[in-house]
Amino acid sequence: MSKMTQRKSLDYIKKDYVRTRTLTGSWYLASYKFKFNITHMKPFLEKLKEKKLIGNQCSSCNRVFYPPRQVCGKCLVKPDKWVDIRNTARVSTFAISYLKDPETGEVQERPMVLVHHDGADTTSIAELNPEIDVKDVYVGMPIIAHWRDETVGGLMDIEYYDKFIDDSDDIRYKK
Amino acid sequence: MQKVGIVGYYQVKLYSDANYGRYEMIFEASRGALDKAGLKKKDISTVISCTNDYYDGRTISNCFTVEVGGGYMADESKVEMDGAHAVLYGLMRVLSGNHNLAAIWGGSMASCYPYHTVRLYETDPTWERSLAYVNDVTSAGFQMRAYMEKYGVTAEEIAKVAVKNKKNAAKNPLALKEAQLPNITVKDVLDSGIYADPVTELMVAPPCDCVAALLLAPEKQALKITDKPVWITGVGYNQDPYYLGDRDLSGCKSMNLAGKMAYNAAGINDPSSEIDVAELFEANAHEELIFAEELGFAKKGKGIEINSAINGDLPINPSGGALGGNPPCATGLIRIIEAVKQLTGEAGDYQVKGAKRAVASGQVGMCAQNNIIYVLEAN
Amino acid sequence: MGRQVAIASAGFSEHASKRSDVSMPELVSEAIEDCLKNAPGVEIGDIDAFVNGNMPAFEGSNIPELWMTDWMGARNKPLLRVTTGGTTGGTVAISGYYTVAAGLPGIDTVLAVAFEQQSQGDTSVGLASVAYGEISILNTLGIPYEQISRLLSAGAAIGVAAYQATTYMNKTKIKEEDLARVVVQNRRNAAKTWWAHLKMPNLTIEEVLDTPYVQYPLRYGMVCPASDGACAMLFTTEEKAKDICDIPVYVNGVASVANETAVLGYDGSGSCQIDPSMQLGAIRSAELTYSQAGISFPRKEIDYAEVYSPFPNQELMWVEKLGLFEEATAPEMYEAGVTAVNGELPVNCSGGVNATNAIGASAMERPAEAALQIMGKASNQVPKTVHTSIGSGWGGSLNLITLMAMSDQPRRKF
Repeated sequence: MSKMTQRKSLDYIKKDYVRTRTLTGSWYLASYKFKFNITHMKPFLEKLKEKKLIGNQCSSCNRVFYPPRQVCGKCLVKPDKWVDIRNTARVSTFAISYLKDPETGEVQERPMVLVHHDGADTTSIAELNPEIDVKDVYVGMPIIAHWRDETVGGLMDIEYYDKFIDDSDDIRYKK
Repeated sequence: MQKVGIVGYYQVKLYSDANYGRYEMIFEASRGALDKAGLKKKDISTVISCTNDYYDGRTISNCFTVEVGGGYMADESKVEMDGAHAVLYGLMRVLSGNHNLAAIWGGSMASCYPYHTVRLYETDPTWERSLAYVNDVTSAGFQMRAYMEKYGVTAEEIAKVAVKNKKNAAKNPLALKEAQLPNITVKDVLDSGIYADPVTELMVAPPCDCVAALLLAPEKQALKITDKPVWITGVGYNQDPYYLGDRDLSGCKSMNLAGKMAYNAAGINDPSSEIDVAELFEANAHEELIFAEELGFAKKGKGIEINSAINGDLPINPSGGALGGNPPCATGLIRIIEAVKQLTGEAGDYQVKGAKRAVASGQVGMCAQNNIIYVLEAN
Repeated sequence: MGRQVAIASAGFSEHASKRSDVSMPELVSEAIEDCLKNAPGVEIGDIDAFVNGNMPAFEGSNIPELWMTDWMGARNKPLLRVTTGGTTGGTVAISGYYTVAAGLPGIDTVLAVAFEQQSQGDTSVGLASVAYGEISILNTLGIPYEQISRLLSAGAAIGVAAYQATTYMNKTKIKEEDLARVVVQNRRNAAKTWWAHLKMPNLTIEEVLDTPYVQYPLRYGMVCPASDGACAMLFTTEEKAKDICDIPVYVNGVASVANETAVLGYDGSGSCQIDPSMQLGAIRSAELTYSQAGISFPRKEIDYAEVYSPFPNQELMWVEKLGLFEEATAPEMYEAGVTAVNGELPVNCSGGVNATNAIGASAMERPAEAALQIMGKASNQVPKTVHTSIGSGWGGSLNLITLMAMSDQPRRKF
């Protein structure tokens, strides 16, 4: 260490003796502008208007991305094919958040689920029908997209996911 | 030090407000570098990124760049300094023998945030930041004044450096459009808006958007990948103390020590004659002179006497340097790429004839607190 | 190419939720001083290069080592800053290793420092801004802002860990008691570690299960604290280490492998990790590290492990993914006491991240503590002789895992 900063020991610092002063400062996230691409999302958003789901597919590793991705990380190429996705899905995993209403003080239990659509290789974050009991949610639960009556071509066209009885045999999840 | 080869590079054009998404730009750079080297994603064994949480507005700014930067299932890490420092970490990883191909990318988009305000977060929160008297712009003013006073250099002479670099930038198709000024004069530089007297607007490197990428491979591997690798034969880096009062601002001790370390590794005794071209990261015009002196290209205070034009004795910043565009986190990396272009003869209009050995530098902090310098040699 | 690297010493600062008696640079000095105290032959002037890192967003200071230069003794020395979020400490340790291993001329002894003073900033804001950019994109694609704020609250580190905990519990069919057992073991261990934060020598499983949920299935009592603290490690060459200390610890393998992000993808797209507890990155990291270190049977050859586990489910998961136990058997092993201090394979005898979490430093404290166990200088020293140990780190969006394998014999394969 240079001579100017050389000190013998830090032992002189007494633990109960507060010797610092607090200065306030902040990191303003609001002053940032985030730029992102919309071109690769366009066909997807247009199809949402027709209440149809599509994802894009990497022709190198054949993975299907829903919502569409700009780049396949595994192959480092742009996905170039579009494929249809079913509106049925599974709960890939979930967490329950406990949100306090600032006005009433009531604690709301809301499960946030990761939805794995049939025909896609990615999951997306979504909400369940608020009427579904939190205790009934499990990993692998079959769910189906519930569309809004009027679609505008945005992600909120799927209002929430509803429970449904899955009688297909192709994928079997256990509770 | 063993030789390490640069086998591929790519730089997105500099824009002051790019019509690019962040991830699109990173993808273009990392894919472009792979394509230039003719390699595949699976050949990459390690990825070093260079971003800054404050410049990206995100905590863990490399978190979501794994896919687009080629980091999927690769040994990945991030350096939070200049792009040139990221190359150093990539170089260490290759030299350690653990990795056969290191991909390094760095950059950010200065159009997304107020650059000079964000730079204020680099200052000491107790003293400088709350007063905001000392920041990257005013400290440049201190440094330029100290240099001028000590050696009797005039502002006109320093403006000449800006003129040279802006004219060089006009020949570089990838430089920032706003900085490409083929008809600029010394008077234009001195008459531009004052940032912190005597530093004027055209003497400060304009922040802009860019991502650049570089591929490193050990000697054997590099020769398999390309016939024309550029070798890194020396590297040096060093950090000065923070407080401006602790430093001699008319010089730059860290650059001097970094230069010695790099020359020692590369076996250079007389830098002014052995080096053919220099690409220095000058955040302000006067830094180019200070760096050139500290690197031994001229005596102290005589930096202005170097014939540093493209066809001169020792061309400095033929690409336009950082005055031709300064994308945070990428500038040092771009300096290395420009030096590589000179050594492989790919520089086009600003090619230095017969360049065999080059130096490229990067810096971090106020008044170039941390400097890094590379010695590069043609095959 | 490359050369064998050894750890000559490691040091810690004292950890607490608010170290208001020291400023950030003083905290760092404290760790450096403790580190050099353990290596009597080394003065701060003998150090050739420095590596450091923290999570800058948590303290509101960008590149803080610029103004902390003198406090670290790095004046006019080579210095490199490496940060990767939660794994920062691990990556700093790894880059300390690489700085020595590269064999750059004049660089033999390297001091790696990782630190965090979370009480200086707002950690929850810092963590939320990991995904702030990505999630706010969803707004322009039609998700209302109210839902985004819900997503943000679920998207912070505890949120992603909760998703992971759900899948892990579903796969292994464990109960909350199994999670609580891990917590109890860690915090009781922490009581014997001088620098640890949450020291609870008499904690019981019932007490942990009495606390309310933060986010199902994780309760307040299971979640790591937010601490202030720093950690330093001294890396040097094989020859020099023999002079400095009695038992040099040789670093035989390192890796930090990233998988695609979990829960949320870039630009608000989906995540490719369908099962967040699969952790291909950890498996690949372990493969790379063990192959470098010549470890063929990790279960038999590794004597001690420090894993990065802010949440108990992660501790169970990592020990399985890093090859220490068979899949889905870790809960039984914890119940049987295999991982206790006097067990066959002690895990996290320092109390782990679950008891002390100064985020930037945490991932370095793992290899540091693992190295001290080999040297026999750890404060909660295991009774058996430790020959080989590992220290891991976890960070990013459940996707980046660092791992360092150490031994008392130089066994790195070139």
